Amino acid sequence: MARISPTRGQKLLFLIYILTGICILYFDITSNSFQFLKNGFKSFKISSSYFLNQITVEQFKNLKERSKSKKFLLEENENLKDALDLSYLNNYLITKENKFYKDHDIIKYPSLDKSAQSPFKIAQLRSFDPNTFNCCDRHRMFIEIISDDENNFKEFMVFNSSGIIGQIIHSNKYSEVMLLTDISHYIPLKSITNDFFCNARGSGRPGIVICTYNPLVDTREVEVGQIFYSSGLGGIFPKDIEIGKVNKVIQIDPTTINLEIKLSANPLKSDLFGVIRY
Amino acid sequence: MKYVKIIFSLILINVVDQKIASFTYEYYLIIPLTFLSYSLYVYKSDSNTSSGEAFLLGLFVDLISESFLGLNAVFFCLITYFINIYSNAFKIFSYLQICIFFGLASSAYVGFSQMIINLWNFSYVTLFISSVFNIIFCIFIAISSIYLPYFVKRRL
Repeated sequence: MARISPTRGQKLLFLIYILTGICILYFDITSNSFQFLKNGFKSFKISSSYFLNQITVEQFKNLKERSKSKKFLLEENENLKDALDLSYLNNYLITKENKFYKDHDIIKYPSLDKSAQSPFKIAQLRSFDPNTFNCCDRHRMFIEIISDDENNFKEFMVFNSSGIIGQIIHSNKYSEVMLLTDISHYIPLKSITNDFFCNARGSGRPGIVICTYNPLVDTREVEVGQIFYSSGLGGIFPKDIEIGKVNKVIQIDPTTINLEIKLSANPLKSDLFGVIRY
Repeated sequence: MKYVKIIFSLILINVVDQKIASFTYEYYLIIPLTFLSYSLYVYKSDSNTSSGEAFLLGLFVDLISESFLGLNAVFFCLITYFINIYSNAFKIFSYLQICIFFGLASSAYVGFSQMIINLWNFSYVTLFISSVFNIIFCIFIAISSIYLPYFVKRRL
């Protein structure tokens, strides 16, 4: 049967919908206007998949485990694994961040005084899209912070056993973390000698941030392999934490040099994170 | 009931799409399976798909694929419009021409969507490889439908 070509009115409707779509797209890109809707849907998606998992897969797993006499050993194994993950996080703070304890005012925050052993909150990964992480500019993940008090965790730093991975940008039941490699993320960095400072922008590529500077203004030479640290100037991340090594020095034009910094932290390393306010 | 079927199909295809993308992206290849499936649905419909339906389905795909809202809505509206306009003209086209049309439409989708979601790392290599592969993929789908059982062929 032949299909009728769209009438003038139908064409006008198409035009209206396309223009509406473009407006929605523009507002979403420029102002994140629909973040609440996306976060709501994301929360629903995570909760429902968790619920479905609990009533289907977990039930079968439990049934299987019950039939085995090794159940106790399995639980013990899981507990030990969690304890090991926690100890990795603790070690990270002790080994790489000893200045974090000694030098700074971090101790004066009341939330940290509660327990000297755990100055940070533990968070569990809830959702992470590796496709978007590998292909696109937006590098985000959703975590659930295990905490009794109803705090607003916005602008808290997020780290795992390998180092700083990002900061919380929206806090709800699940908190959205913007990774260091997200194209709209900036982190202030410095060299170890405190003579070179720059703002590193996320590159949209996994594990890479880019520092741009003008060699006419800053004449110091930066070499491949040089280590960069957080400068603490942004107020989100503490200073003197190793961020990464210079991977490539790219001269764009006589007034612009891009430093490609390979991050030392990998967000995929663990599903357990530490969350802290500096 | 028709829309429930479409929505569930879109969710399923989107999941497959995302699973495939995680492998293919390493080879500079993007196959917009959701977009192609929607195009096939519009192409095979007996009646014209309305602009509202295209827009709402696009918004739904935006939501489930976690991309910017409006991205798929615009592309779904555009492809629906073009298919509706050329629905009768397609009858005098050969299968090869139709495959090239859908292959190029999906390339345009890949190109524009990459310009929006991955502007800083936009790759012409990805665009070129995806274009060639998508055209071949459409031809492969057209050829393979011949060998499918009758009841599936009737739907395709």
